[in-house]
Amino acid sequence: MAENLEKQEIKDIGDTLLEIAMYLLVSGASTGRVRTTVERISANFSFNTYILISQRTILLNMYDGDNDCVFNGLKRTPPHHVNFTMISGISRLSWFVVNEDWGIGKIKEELARVKQLAHYPRLVTLVLTGLAGAAFCRLAGGGPLEMGVVFIASTIGLFIRQETTKLNFNPYLCIYFAAFTASMIAAGFIKLDVAKIHEPAFATSVLFLIPGVPLINAFSDLIDGNLNNGLIRGINGFIISFTIALGLLTSMAILHI
Amino acid sequence: MEWLLIFEKGIWFGLAAMGFAVLFNVPTRTLAPIFIMGAFGGLTKAIMLHYEINVIGASFAGATLIGFISIFFAHEKHAPPPIFAIPAVIPMVPGIFAYRMMIGLISLAGKIDNTAYTRIMSETTNNGLKVMFILMGLATGVGLPMLITRKDSAKDLRFKRNRKVTG
Repeated sequence: MAENLEKQEIKDIGDTLLEIAMYLLVSGASTGRVRTTVERISANFSFNTYILISQRTILLNMYDGDNDCVFNGLKRTPPHHVNFTMISGISRLSWFVVNEDWGIGKIKEELARVKQLAHYPRLVTLVLTGLAGAAFCRLAGGGPLEMGVVFIASTIGLFIRQETTKLNFNPYLCIYFAAFTASMIAAGFIKLDVAKIHEPAFATSVLFLIPGVPLINAFSDLIDGNLNNGLIRGINGFIISFTIALGLLTSMAILHI
Repeated sequence: MEWLLIFEKGIWFGLAAMGFAVLFNVPTRTLAPIFIMGAFGGLTKAIMLHYEINVIGASFAGATLIGFISIFFAHEKHAPPPIFAIPAVIPMVPGIFAYRMMIGLISLAGKIDNTAYTRIMSETTNNGLKVMFILMGLATGVGLPMLITRKDSAKDLRFKRNRKVTG
């Protein structure tokens, strides 16, 4: 199949594969998943694809049946932002390519459609995250009052995170602002003596920020043998946890909790 | 009464999982399965903790259950297993331990006398190691169905017939 392809078409395939790898990576897929998906799609065009994945850049080489390099490309990725609808959409796309033998035009069409899929309404995200925070508080041993406090703190904290992200602050700084706001609100309520059980209310007010995806992906990468990526994701998760702790510490210092 | 409290926890685990699912922007059709998986995984952990099994083992067991259910739902709802599994295990991420470890680390860096240093150091190490091992347990548990069947993709777990690889 590869022999019949025009140069332009090969370049098109390579660019699309790079784009797919980039979207998977920034949406929170593990390194193994990115590699499998890209190889699955390119195998359908009879190309061997080798890919080097790092946190902020992706390098991709494509070889045809005669083992000649027909495409190589390097792409810089935007900051990571977890989006599972994207991963699910691209995974389905890759199976359509295999099972229904999709051409490059159709892949690009589907990719454009997946990119446009809507996010949840902002209010729904805010309220459900608040509820998740309240649930965490309950699990850590808080009562209804503490849950209410954490609900308010988490909701406003996430709101601050979204707003600061829109203002293009450094991602870690956004998390710091959110952690600081949320813990400040929780600490304020504790100071006013609304929340009687202190540790759960204070500690769980920032739990909506925990870097679950980086940390779990870090270990899945390590198990998979992608040690480089695993370590880097782990460090990323650690920095995020550290930033959250700094936010907590600032409000502890201000309010003397 | 005691059991009622444990089962109540299931609801909170499910709710926390669903909150994170929305935060991660999962497809709408996967929300209900994530609630169920989060609840059952969390319940497994809570019940094992009730029988005084180590928190690391309990988290691993809960994550393993989630890993296996995620394969079922992946076929049912046509989405990759991690989409279900990651939000469902997030409520089991040891947030409180991580919080105590971080606070410990930061106070170790401050002005501190020798006896307090030893005490805080041992607490911090204990909490930090718990965090690390629980996270490892969660990741391994979720990936276990793939690891023991030696498959790259969950799709192959159902389609037993040999598919011809194109190319």
